[in-house]
Amino acid sequence: MTSTTAHHTRPGWSIVARQELSELWGSTRGSGVLLGFSVLLAALSYLVSADAGINLLDARESVGVIVQTAIALGALTALVISSDAISGERERGTLESLLVTPLHRRDLVIGKLIAATSMWVAAIVVSLPFVAVLARGPGVAFDAVIVLVVAGSLVAAALTAFGLAISSLAMSNRVSLASAISIMLLLAAPSRLPGVTANGVLGSILIKLNPVSAGLKLANDVLVGQQGWSNHWTLLISPAVAAVLSTVVAIQLSRRIELGDSR
Amino acid sequence: MTPTRVECRGLTVKYGDLVAVDSIDLEVAAGEVFGLLGPNGAGKTSVIRALTTIIEPAAGTANVAGAALSDQRVIRQRIGVLPESSGYPSAQTGLSYLRFYGELFGLSRAEASDRAAELLDQLGLGHTQQRISHYSRGMRQRLGLCRAMINRPDVLFLDEPTLGLDPAGKEEVVRHLADIAVHDGTTVVLCTHLLDEVERACDRVAIMAAGKLLTTGTVDDVIDASDVPRSSRLRVHSDDIAAAHDVLGRLDCVDGIRFDNARPGDLDLQLAPHAVPPASARVLAAIIDAGIEIRAFETDRASLNDAFLALTAPGAPT
Repeated sequence: MTSTTAHHTRPGWSIVARQELSELWGSTRGSGVLLGFSVLLAALSYLVSADAGINLLDARESVGVIVQTAIALGALTALVISSDAISGERERGTLESLLVTPLHRRDLVIGKLIAATSMWVAAIVVSLPFVAVLARGPGVAFDAVIVLVVAGSLVAAALTAFGLAISSLAMSNRVSLASAISIMLLLAAPSRLPGVTANGVLGSILIKLNPVSAGLKLANDVLVGQQGWSNHWTLLISPAVAAVLSTVVAIQLSRRIELGDSR
Repeated sequence: MTPTRVECRGLTVKYGDLVAVDSIDLEVAAGEVFGLLGPNGAGKTSVIRALTTIIEPAAGTANVAGAALSDQRVIRQRIGVLPESSGYPSAQTGLSYLRFYGELFGLSRAEASDRAAELLDQLGLGHTQQRISHYSRGMRQRLGLCRAMINRPDVLFLDEPTLGLDPAGKEEVVRHLADIAVHDGTTVVLCTHLLDEVERACDRVAIMAAGKLLTTGTVDDVIDASDVPRSSRLRVHSDDIAAAHDVLGRLDCVDGIRFDNARPGDLDLQLAPHAVPPASARVLAAIIDAGIEIRAFETDRASLNDAFLALTAPGAPT
C-alpha cells in the first residue's frame, strides 16, 4: 500500500476555511461585493448627513439608519456568499473532487460557514468609519458598535447558516440564491409594517419572533429611541435562537450533500 | 499471488426506478491498469461513483483498497479520483490548489507543497504561478491528474483522463499511468472512449452496455469474445488467383473472399474467429495442398475498436 496515511495536522474545517478565505478575498468575488456594500453605505451616509445638516435627522437617527442598513445589507451579502457555497461547487463541477477526499462533509460546511461569515466581519469593519463620522460623540458610537457586533452578528450568523443549508440541498446555484434572497426579503418585511400594526400585540410578537426584524427593531429602539438595552434584550432571543438552529441544521444537512447529476 | 485491490460482487446502482448498473462483478489486481469501457449511458461513471463512495449502491458488496464500502473514510484516504466533468477554482494557482488537497489528505502544509511541486513537474506543468483561469483545457486535465495522485493512492479511478489533451499529451499521460502502475504498484481503473489508448495501456478491460457487464479479460480475450472476423490477405501469382479462390471458397472457416482490383494477385479474406484448427492454418494448408505458390500471407488482428462495436451494437447478444 502506498497511500498517504491520515495524520491531519490541522482539523479539516480549518483547512477548508483557509482555502475558502483565500479564494473569497483573493479574487474579485469578496472584494467586489464589499465594494458594492461600501458604495451603498457611503451614498446613504451622505444622504443622512445632508439631512442632519438641515436638522431633519439628529446624530442618533442618522447612525440608526446606517446601522440598520449595515445589518440588513451585511447579512444579505453573507447570505449571498453562503448560498453559493455548496451549490456553486456542485455547479462548477468541483464538488465531486472534494467528496472523494477523507474530509468530513461536516468540516466542509463548517469551513465554508467561517469563510462566508468573514463577509459580515468585513461589513462591520467597513461600517465603523461611517458610524464614527455620523455619531459625533462617543456615546452614540459605542451603542452603535455594540448593536452592530451583537445584534448584527447574530442576524448575520443566522442568515449565513441558513444560506448554507439551502445551498446544501439546492441542485442549482440559481435556485439556492433565489430561495435565500426571497426568504431574506420575507423576514425583513415585518420591520416595514406600519406603526399601528407593528405596535399591536400581533405585530409585536411577529417582530420579536422574526430574527431579522427583531435585530433591526433593537437597532432602532436602542439607537433612535434611546430606550436602553435592559428593556430590549428580549429582541436578541430570536436572532440568537435562529443563529444556533440554522447552524445546527446546516451542519446536520451536510450528511445529505449529494452531487445531484446522477446518471 | 497479486492481491486484489478492487472487488465487487453483484454491484447494483439505481436512480429511482432506473437501473444504471445491473449486478456486476469485477476484480482488479494491485498494479493492474484496468479499462472500463462502454458507450455513453453504459453505467461506467455510476460504477466509479459507487466504488469511490460518492453514491450508495442499491445492492451488492465491494472492497476497494482493502476496505469495505462501508468504511468510506478509509477508502477515500487510499484512492485518487479524476471525475469526468471536473471543475477547477479559476482564481487559484495550480500549486495552491494541489497543496489544499494534500492537506485534506493529512499532509502538513510543507509536505503538501513539496508533493504538489513534484507532481506539477512530473505532469509537465512546472512550478508555474499562473492562475488556473489561464490554464488550457489540457493543462487543467493534467492538474486534475496531479490532484488525483496527491495522496499516492493505492487505487486511481480516472474518468476520461486524456480528454482535451493533444496527441503528445495523451501519450505522456498513458505512459505515466503505466509507470505508476509498474513502479508504485498503483491500481488504475480507467474509463475512456479512446480505445487505442486502452489497447496500449490496459492489462485487462471490461465492456459495459446498458448497465450490464458484457465481457471482461485481456484485450485479446475481449476481441476473441466479440466474434469479430479476422481479416487476412493472401498473395499468389495472378494466374493462380481463380484456382485459389475456388480452393478457399470450399473452406467453411472462410466467411468472405474479395478480389483486390488494384493488385491482381491478392485476395482479401474474412476468417471465422473461433475455427479449430485456426482458420489461417487451414487456409495455408489448403493452398499448399492445391500446389499453389504462396507469395505472401498476412493476418490482421481484429482491433479492440471492432470488438467494442460488435459487442455494444444494438441487438448484439448479451
